[in-house]
Amino acid sequence: MIRSARTLDDDLFLRAEVCVIGSGAGGAVAAAELAAGGRDVVVLEAGSHWTKQDFTQREDEMLPRLFEEAGMRQTVDGTITVLQGRCVGGSTVHNLCYCFRTPDPILGLWQEEHGLPELTPAALEPSFQRVEAGLKVKPIREDEVNALNRLIRRGTRKLGWSGLLANHNREGCVQAGYCILGCSYDAKQSMLVTYVPRADAAGARIFADAQVEGIEAQGGRVRRVHARAALADGRPGPRLVVEAPVVVLSAGAVATPDLLLRSRLANRSGRVGRGLHLHPSVMVAGLFDEPIHAYRGIPQSWYVDEFIDLERDPHSGYVLMPITGFPALTGTQLPGFGRAHFRWMRAFAHTAGLLVLLHDRSEGSVEPGASLARPRLRYALRPDDERLLAEGLVHCCELLFAAGAREVLVPYVDEPLVVRPGDDLSLVARRGAAAGTIPIASTHPQSTCRMGGDPRRSVVNAWGECHEVAGLFVADMSVFPTSLGAPPQITTAALADRTAHHVLERWPELARTRA
Amino acid sequence: MSAGELRATRRGFLRLLGASGTLAALARLPAPAARAAAAPAAGGTPFFAPREREILTLVVERMVDTGLPEAPAVRATATIDTIDRLCRSLDPSLTAPLPALLRLVEWGPLLFEGRFARFSALDEAGRDAHLAGWMRSRLALRRAGFLALRNLALLGYWSQDETWPLIGYHGPLLGRRGPAA
Repeated sequence: MIRSARTLDDDLFLRAEVCVIGSGAGGAVAAAELAAGGRDVVVLEAGSHWTKQDFTQREDEMLPRLFEEAGMRQTVDGTITVLQGRCVGGSTVHNLCYCFRTPDPILGLWQEEHGLPELTPAALEPSFQRVEAGLKVKPIREDEVNALNRLIRRGTRKLGWSGLLANHNREGCVQAGYCILGCSYDAKQSMLVTYVPRADAAGARIFADAQVEGIEAQGGRVRRVHARAALADGRPGPRLVVEAPVVVLSAGAVATPDLLLRSRLANRSGRVGRGLHLHPSVMVAGLFDEPIHAYRGIPQSWYVDEFIDLERDPHSGYVLMPITGFPALTGTQLPGFGRAHFRWMRAFAHTAGLLVLLHDRSEGSVEPGASLARPRLRYALRPDDERLLAEGLVHCCELLFAAGAREVLVPYVDEPLVVRPGDDLSLVARRGAAAGTIPIASTHPQSTCRMGGDPRRSVVNAWGECHEVAGLFVADMSVFPTSLGAPPQITTAALADRTAHHVLERWPELARTRA
Repeated sequence: MSAGELRATRRGFLRLLGASGTLAALARLPAPAARAAAAPAAGGTPFFAPREREILTLVVERMVDTGLPEAPAVRATATIDTIDRLCRSLDPSLTAPLPALLRLVEWGPLLFEGRFARFSALDEAGRDAHLAGWMRSRLALRRAGFLALRNLALLGYWSQDETWPLIGYHGPLLGRRGPAA
């Protein structure tokens, strides 16, 4: 049973073998595998438990329910919007279902440059197989490619660029298109309908609305987790204390380092909260004569990988991805206000969005803010990353014109740029993609508690266990040693699966080990 | 309360100046404790006081102006109620700066432009020009304030069913027999 901590009448003290913090792509997998392996598991999730009955397909209702800061979380300078889930199931409830394994060259990079020889494709194969089966990952069918993605594919092929139909985690999809607002049909195989119920069925005690405030360690090993019921009005409710010899921290690449820093744990390296990668993305809007209604159907299925070659350069590159939204979210990505803004809103049904998603070298940081709800994210694009984003914008324009767009809006904040077929696109490259000049968004914050072999340069070891605190594991996107360069759902889940099986194999000795 | 009823008072202006630095608050300094402590439960007391609500309405009207006669007027929709409900549902530390931000907009012509006028007393063109000043300000914090208000306005207005025909959005499928469009 999933219980809301808001229903607690009084403070609650629990003993468990494992306490999992978070229920997204990392936490849900860890909780389910550990519970299925016979461990007594408590899960603490800061967000609420919403189900398909709650997913109304309305932005005003779903954004505050499913997203941190109602989808308006930003870096401290206000230049980058960071979308993260806040609910049982985490970001998997609102993601768009792309499923990619960790690229082999990225694993190679992690092995060679980060002291992680264990992370070979072969070693990860069992975890990949388990999570792909668990999430029912399969290729998109041709009849599932919607009008937006068909357009983008048409443009890609016309230009002779490389692209592919991706794998997805869907079962019985009705192609409504509201994936980003939660699936009203339970067709998206998010953690909410896969691993969370499995953890529940295996006996895990799952608390929603349980905001973890700190982790306590003693004598070099983890001891307790301190949480409070997160009341609807933001006031702290009853306390919830979980004493466990193993804690799996899976709160995401923002909240995980925030909690470690607040708890003053595992940071002798100084790396907790450092090295933030965002996979920053910028988008353009192509206007077509015919209505596209891009919001209908599976939002993202086609994937343009022409501009990323990880074998040649595992450190950088970018992909192009179709993007759609509903009126309010779309509006926030368009420039200006009033009538100038409405000019673009009016073309909503005729608009195809295309974004550049950067495999970033730039690094930022996460620090605790005034409250747990407001961590401080800092991130500045390096000049080479800025150049790549700008190059990506040019390629987006080319692709949309090849697909038949009559004009393309590059939504610069000060003076939006409209280009038409035949225009000199070097103007786009010259205006660039500097932060603050164009809306930048991120849905993949990562790398803030890096995995590595050297405790002086990393926070956790190859199994996700903190170098300095025995029994404290991290299982979310924080552990990526570098930018992943691909959608992260499967990598996150597979690494969490691997961590969970490591804990099971080392039990009960692990529960007694000191750092 | 109408725009004309928004009276400039010396006490109100002084309170604004002493309002613990709205822009700094926007920059993620700790939320004013009194407001956070007094935050009502969702579904309870409105987030915005009547005076703040009126300023917000005037701002939203300019943010989502379409120029189309058939466009639903902000005041004829539940736009402001939607924004109010959203603000009540968020952590108080996120929303606490908003009332002070609205007062700053109201007094903005005086504070930032040296004009003896309040935002609510300007005509539509004047309000647009003033908001454009926020949008293009060299102060990052002022631009952040603009974006916060713009995004709330967009979320509030474009979440109203009656606005969707303007842009060809067919709305949610739930409750329908089959996919549209």
